[in-house]
Amino acid sequence: MSGATTAAYLARRAAQKERVRILYRRALKDTLNWAVHRHLFYQDASDLREKFEANKHVEDLDTIDKMIVAGEATYNKWRHPDPYIVPWAPGGSKFTRNPVPPSGIEIVYDYGREEND
Amino acid sequence: MALRAAVLRHIRLPVQTLPAAGSRPQSQLSFLRLFSSHDDHLTKEEVIDRVLDVVKSFPKVDPSQVTPDVHFQNDLGLDSLDNVEIVMALEEEFKLEIPDKEADKIDSCNLAIEYIYNHPLAG
Repeated sequence: MSGATTAAYLARRAAQKERVRILYRRALKDTLNWAVHRHLFYQDASDLREKFEANKHVEDLDTIDKMIVAGEATYNKWRHPDPYIVPWAPGGSKFTRNPVPPSGIEIVYDYGREEND
Repeated sequence: MALRAAVLRHIRLPVQTLPAAGSRPQSQLSFLRLFSSHDDHLTKEEVIDRVLDVVKSFPKVDPSQVTPDVHFQNDLGLDSLDNVEIVMALEEEFKLEIPDKEADKIDSCNLAIEYIYNHPLAG
């Protein structure tokens, strides 16, 4: 685990950065779910950003991993029970409300005409 | 009937010639009321305008540098967390729900405009 920028080190850092970004995204959405009013959301969002920025300079891979795990645990603890989901997305109210009818089925508009001849 | 024919013979309506082939068909369609349920997809210029407005109203961004092909981190000097915030703002603007993995890849205005334009449910 020397500080050399080997490929494995960089790959691990990149994976950690992606985890951090996804965690920040989910935490921000969760903050919006809890703080519905915009001015409260802005305050909470900047607090969240401060928390992330405070640990920005950490270099040690294991410490970063532990911090990410702790952050995800905090996020799981504070998840909103009824989050706002866009209606057509999975979990929203319009999801699969009007599915496409299966192909091959159609209505024959003959209005009860009878061909008895 | 003869009167009607006589009147019609004397009335001339001005004929509008359509502009040359360089015009975009979509701008003309925006004046027509099409009654299909699939014609409310956003036009590319609308998407570009709204995306640029969102990016310009971001507090850490210099509005004069924003162009449709600007990269958030390289050109505007933003952080990766700022990138996440911009993608969230775009999600709110267009009422989209972008999956986490896709949202992580949106790094520049180009990608954002393409993604939103190709999304069938962009509002």
